[in-house]
Amino acid sequence: MGPLIVSDIITQNTNFFLAFLIGIGFGFVLESSGFSSSRKLAGMFYGYDTVVLKVFFTAAIVAMLGLLFMSLFNWIDLDMVYVNPTYLWSTIVGGIIMGAGFIIGGFCPGTSFCAAAIGKIDALFFIGGIFLGIFIFSEAYPLLEGFYKGSFQGTPTLPEALGLKDGVVVLGIIIVALAMFWVGEWAEKKFPRKEY
Amino acid sequence: MKNINPRVLLAMFIIPLGMILAFVPANTTHPYKLSPVDLLEYVNSGMQYFTPDEVAHMVVSKDPSLVLIDIRAETEYEKYHLPGAINIPLTSLLDDQWKDYVNQDLRYNVFYSNGTVNANQAWMLTRQLGYENNYVLQGGLNYWVESIMNPDKPGSTSPNEEIAKYDFRKGAGQALGGGAMIESSAQTAPDLPKIAPRPKKKKVQGGC
Repeated sequence: MGPLIVSDIITQNTNFFLAFLIGIGFGFVLESSGFSSSRKLAGMFYGYDTVVLKVFFTAAIVAMLGLLFMSLFNWIDLDMVYVNPTYLWSTIVGGIIMGAGFIIGGFCPGTSFCAAAIGKIDALFFIGGIFLGIFIFSEAYPLLEGFYKGSFQGTPTLPEALGLKDGVVVLGIIIVALAMFWVGEWAEKKFPRKEY
Repeated sequence: MKNINPRVLLAMFIIPLGMILAFVPANTTHPYKLSPVDLLEYVNSGMQYFTPDEVAHMVVSKDPSLVLIDIRAETEYEKYHLPGAINIPLTSLLDDQWKDYVNQDLRYNVFYSNGTVNANQAWMLTRQLGYENNYVLQGGLNYWVESIMNPDKPGSTSPNEEIAKYDFRKGAGQALGGGAMIESSAQTAPDLPKIAPRPKKKKVQGGC
């Protein structure tokens, strides 16, 4: 039956409403699991707190398992699901800029809004920085356009690239993720945060 | 069991689920279908048609985004086909070797047969599979010959548009005259001219 919008089961406006509800839920969970603390987020880079890694990889695994099981039950047609297209070099450079901003500012874009919602001043500055960045990027767009749209790779996925079945790749990612969680917990013991 | 590590607990759930997925065959059925009502609406709107004039214009101007697909049998294709057309007989439309041709989002595929029945069948099949960018030559080859190859001369009192249309059809008919017998390459897919990929429409993107 799904995806819901492509198959005209729900309208675009219902979609926005559902996205709104999911967004509220997402923000609530981010805040309640401590993601509005920039120490927690920066901990990922220093090794004393790997909750970010665990949460996002667990989310990815749950989504993967959910989508593949729904596909198995004929609830969703995976060929109709939007895959973000890959622009190789702009993705790499964007990732580096995003990572640098992450460790310098102590937030990622979503958590900065969570932190602003509970009244953190540094998060307000971070959000100001986001808008400044958007403004600079937009103004410089004519210069950057060739790079931004260059090295287009279509929409490659891991199973296609590796020539494996979706399920096998999922199992592989689960095992890799669990190994990373284990390393993460080891790192948390190895590099405990000094209390201030 | 008392102080079980959450990581182990998680592993106990997700590893078996992952194992199931790794061993079951992937689901390759496509539940996506147009409802009969939607299909009827499409057919009535005539949105699946390219008129002969549109096609002639694109052929004459060598528009790389046009792919003419002759869905008649190979023998008929060899006898006569539109310039630059490739041959995918209706019977082998869904073969793997043609999949990249009929399911793509770069070019306009225009199916044609002698009339429009078979071309419409091809269009409907691909439409039901959810493939985009497939169209039908309005009126088929018969109407093509009638309107492009042997256009009726409009009366001298006809409006200017009619006369302009006639001039274009006459010119196009001469340029495409006789449907030059391009070397038949019925069973091997010829290389299509490269065109820059059209990036997909941006959607709202998530992130953390």
